[in-house]
Amino acid sequence: MRDGEEMSLPAFARRILPPFAGLPLGPFLTLSLRSLARRRPQIFERLGEHRHARYLIDPTDLPFAFCVVPDSTSAVVRVVFRSAETPSDVAIRGPILLLLGVLEGTLDGDALFFHRAISVTGKTEAVVALRNAIEDAELRPSDLLGLTGALGRFADAGILGGLDVARRVATTATPTRREVEI
Amino acid sequence: MTAQQRMELVCPAGTPATLRAAVTAGADAVYCGFSDDTNARNFPGLNFSPKEMAEGIRFAHGHGSKVLVAINTFARAGDTDPWRRAADTAVACDADAVIAADIAVLDHMAQNYPKTRLHLSVQAAAATPEAIGFYLEAFAVRRVVLPRVLSVQEIKALNSAIAVETEAFVFGGLCVMMEGRCHLSSYATGRSPNLNGVCSPPEAVSYDERGQATTARLAGFTIDRYDPGTPAGYPTLCKGRFTAGGKTGYLFEDPVSLNAGTMIVALREAGITALKIEGRQRGKGYVSEVVRAFRHAVDAAELGRDAVEIEGILAALSEGGRQTTGAYRKTWR
Repeated sequence: MRDGEEMSLPAFARRILPPFAGLPLGPFLTLSLRSLARRRPQIFERLGEHRHARYLIDPTDLPFAFCVVPDSTSAVVRVVFRSAETPSDVAIRGPILLLLGVLEGTLDGDALFFHRAISVTGKTEAVVALRNAIEDAELRPSDLLGLTGALGRFADAGILGGLDVARRVATTATPTRREVEI
Repeated sequence: MTAQQRMELVCPAGTPATLRAAVTAGADAVYCGFSDDTNARNFPGLNFSPKEMAEGIRFAHGHGSKVLVAINTFARAGDTDPWRRAADTAVACDADAVIAADIAVLDHMAQNYPKTRLHLSVQAAAATPEAIGFYLEAFAVRRVVLPRVLSVQEIKALNSAIAVETEAFVFGGLCVMMEGRCHLSSYATGRSPNLNGVCSPPEAVSYDERGQATTARLAGFTIDRYDPGTPAGYPTLCKGRFTAGGKTGYLFEDPVSLNAGTMIVALREAGITALKIEGRQRGKGYVSEVVRAFRHAVDAAELGRDAVEIEGILAALSEGGRQTTGAYRKTWR
């Protein structure tokens, strides 16, 4: 099991990321999510009433977090800073590489929760609905980017490969903790 | 069951993607349910629409696997239509079997669809030759899912006294030993697994972080408080840690998972036909890994070997990070 501390980004990576670096991600992810809703509406149907919930996705090793309302084609993603009090219905916290692993389905969210690598507060039913919707979606980076064909495959290979390398770097950067893969 | 028959590996699926993952990982059969009160894993965002069920069954059949549809809650008096409709839809989708506990659902199936296999759900808590004999005679059930209260020796004795297939849980969440009769969730929240399909409904669950500790509550009842680095469990009262008589501990049951991976040969020799993995609420990662591990273990058992390493492989996926062989090996006796 990879725990939260072990899978956090190395300190040097965190230092080179200023808080405002995340700002352009808000409009980009909003457009991506709305595009995904047009192409695959069934993902958002699984959320039911919880599509209106405000999810605070808080990567604890980044200087910013995301406030997401996954309301299908009206979805909104905002980048928020920890210094500001962000109202939310639910907060999901953990290292970015673990959160991305749950998003792409390679890591088991329940197992990470059991081992306290990620934490959840707020409306638990909204978290359960989001987890199940993501689980069934089998999202690839190309789905979020709206890319298909060879370009989509290239994006998937590049981004997933990059994530894998990042996880290995994060793991080797903290060699004092024993790792057992899940 | 004769010694020559191959044991069936029955695996969970909460979503179409998980069904495909289970089939791909080597499940002989997958069990799943509709998105309503008729199945015992009625959680937000989980389960199948009729269209998804039909597509899932086509996928499974195309890959040589079966699909067993769980309609295993108890029908509400005066509102039995959802259960009748679920049974009709399962048959229309070409399900290989329906898993049921309520005698109204069993009767509806037996009367209208005698060619569709009926499996008696664990929720029926049938653990004696007399009880099983009743379900066999009244509804012609073809298989009984055994409650997790029996030792291997007791299963062997039971199988020698009945003329129906038996299925045993081998991995996953472990209910306190009151299969189908637990009232803890309904006492605290007004909703229960047996009637609403949810134990500890998520809208009644909260996790509060104060300082370094996380407190889990169910409908206002504090279940447990976890220090940093301490493994957590599902937020059910039966796995709660309470103080009573001046002592603090798990009053009902420790937060551990069942893992009978080392007892497959013994279960086979006790006459078990099918091995069931719990976890329809779990994700693809869990299902893929557990099914793959048990596929190897069952194949090894067919050659007379137990797969000891299965305990280490799956420990990280377990509730509370710990595992037990449960009642199968009753060391307290």
